[in-house]
Amino acid sequence: MSNIKIKSKNLNVYYGDKQALFDVNLDLNEKEVTALIGPSGCGKSTFIRCINRMNDVIDICKVTGNIEMDGMNINDKDLDVVSLRERVGMVFQKPNPFPKSIYDNISYGPKIHGKGETKSELDQIVENSLKKSALWEEVKDRLDEPGTSLSGGQQQRLCIARAISVNPEVILMDEPCSALDPIATAKIEELIDELKKTYTIVIVTHSMAQAVRVSQKTGFFHLGKLIEVGKTEKIFKNPDNKMTQDYITGRFG
Amino acid sequence: MNFVLLFLITIFSLSLFFYGRSKTKSISIEKNIRLNALPKFYGYYLVLWCSIPALVFLLVWSLFEPVIIKSIIIETAANQGAIFSDKNEANLIYEKIKAIHLGTYFGDIDSILRESALAYAKFINLFTNSKVVLIFGIIIASVIYSLKKIKNNNKARDDVEVILKGLLFVSSLIAILTTLGIIFSLLFESIKFFSVINIFDYLFGTNWSPQRAFVRDASSITAAEFEELKDAFGFIPLIAGTSFIAFIAMLVAVPIGLFSGIYMAEYASIKVRRISKPIIEILAGIPTVVYGFFAALTVGPFFRQVGENLGLTVSSESALAAGLIMGIMIIPYVSSLSDDVINSVPQSLRDGSYAVGATKSETIKQVVIPSALPGIIGSVLLAVSRAIGETMIVVMAAGLAANLTINPLESTTTITTQIVMILVGDQEFDSPKTQSAFALGLTLFIATLILNYIAQRAVKKYREKYD
Repeated sequence: MSNIKIKSKNLNVYYGDKQALFDVNLDLNEKEVTALIGPSGCGKSTFIRCINRMNDVIDICKVTGNIEMDGMNINDKDLDVVSLRERVGMVFQKPNPFPKSIYDNISYGPKIHGKGETKSELDQIVENSLKKSALWEEVKDRLDEPGTSLSGGQQQRLCIARAISVNPEVILMDEPCSALDPIATAKIEELIDELKKTYTIVIVTHSMAQAVRVSQKTGFFHLGKLIEVGKTEKIFKNPDNKMTQDYITGRFG
Repeated sequence: MNFVLLFLITIFSLSLFFYGRSKTKSISIEKNIRLNALPKFYGYYLVLWCSIPALVFLLVWSLFEPVIIKSIIIETAANQGAIFSDKNEANLIYEKIKAIHLGTYFGDIDSILRESALAYAKFINLFTNSKVVLIFGIIIASVIYSLKKIKNNNKARDDVEVILKGLLFVSSLIAILTTLGIIFSLLFESIKFFSVINIFDYLFGTNWSPQRAFVRDASSITAAEFEELKDAFGFIPLIAGTSFIAFIAMLVAVPIGLFSGIYMAEYASIKVRRISKPIIEILAGIPTVVYGFFAALTVGPFFRQVGENLGLTVSSESALAAGLIMGIMIIPYVSSLSDDVINSVPQSLRDGSYAVGATKSETIKQVVIPSALPGIIGSVLLAVSRAIGETMIVVMAAGLAANLTINPLESTTTITTQIVMILVGDQEFDSPKTQSAFALGLTLFIATLILNYIAQRAVKKYREKYD
């Protein structure tokens, strides 16, 4: 059994009067991929946005309960959000490279955190990040070109490289392949397999097949509640809960 | 007479509407057939047929009637023995005849004039009578035609659509043609001006003193006068003054406008935004003349006072005061346009930046503003062209003398101010002084046209990127 990296206890999230998460208790293991599945609007994305406090951006959002990373309370009001996000990177549903060059897209994060004082250090970070996200070979000769000129799949790997560039411990992925074609999706999944050696990964997905392929642990959400969580193999072969069974067999959702 | 006719046409068409509507209804009931259109369309159909031909005729007639009568009367007068050597004298005689007819002529009336005035009265009568007869003829003909159509259950809906489309087309045609007319009148008058003043003397001259052009008629300028005028119409001081004041205005408007745009788009809560955005936009609704007297009566003297206390000589009509107030006037343009472009930067870009740990201001500075830059540049250029074309503030606050200066405390002048100065009061239309206003107008028009074009291109390019 690997170490628990992130631990949520009785986590509740409200958007104004509407409650989006109900008493979620979920542990994420270190250097493992955890997949979160469930129908749209069930709170998967809300949950992962609690881990890097992205919900702070939304004015009306209120989070109660406990969520810890390595024993540190993420939900602490006095927590330095900037350094939290340095440790918890995020990749979004739609590739969102900045309208800057490929190089600047990746050096953006390190520069903000004061990493890579010299040009050569920065070059090294960019190269390493691109290599880790399996994009280096494709773009090494055109780092000056805008990030938006890449294909959709390449853009998403660029965004993964951008997340990696600040050397996080956890990477959150919010449906990272939903805007990509099957070939680009396969590449990203391959990459996730590789990345889990270094990082703790949480991936939200609507594809059961993807959850089975990439994850070791799966959590099923429905209407803001965590219905069932367990080893991926068990969830998909022999779930305890009837609702989980119905969802993975496509009877609803 | 025309008003009576218009009134009659209106009344008649309106009553035809009700007639047509009920008539077709009863036809459909009587013959038990399904109408090709709603009854009201038959009403519209009758109204349009009754009014449009008559109105068009009335318009055309009113345009040509005076011209025709005039030529007839002048010919009559000539036959009576009136002597005139050129067109102007003929016009004078015609005006006299008209005045006699109206009873407002107080000079001596000789037999020629009296006879002609009688002839004039006769023709006016004749024309008016035939106008009325013809109009009623046209109305009757078109109403008979349209009633016949209606009885045959025509496709009135389609016909009404076609006529309405034609009306809309004519309206837009009028809008375009008047614009073209303005441009061509600018162009032709400018050409007249440039036939007297060399275009290079105009574009590169550094001295602007149009009051030196006393000459009455451009065609009668002697060589000596021509030399004299050579350096009276130098454009450089005006464009320098215009650019200088616009520059000062932008120094005020761009930072304040841009920062308030950023605040509105990124920081302000919905409630603050809902209240403060209209307030900023009210600034754009204040009449420029109000800004103008504020600049001239409050800000200008204030600057002079402050300058005196500091031991500086400040003109009370300083470029600084005019530019400052103009800048304040332009703030809402910059702020509301840049607010819009910043708002349309996708949230996903901001999320991407926050997710690597950037703060809000870092995100704005390094991601949002660079993404919105083309749109922001576009909004600034639009503001510049607004500043260059602005008239009232500079007329009141910037001064009239064409100083070539870069001292913001001195008075300077702008293109628009000079146009106003040239055309206010009495002027001879043929003098180069008057014509220079058209040349200035043309130059100003071209300058703002180019700026607007570039600005719109920039904004459009930006839009395409995210849509």
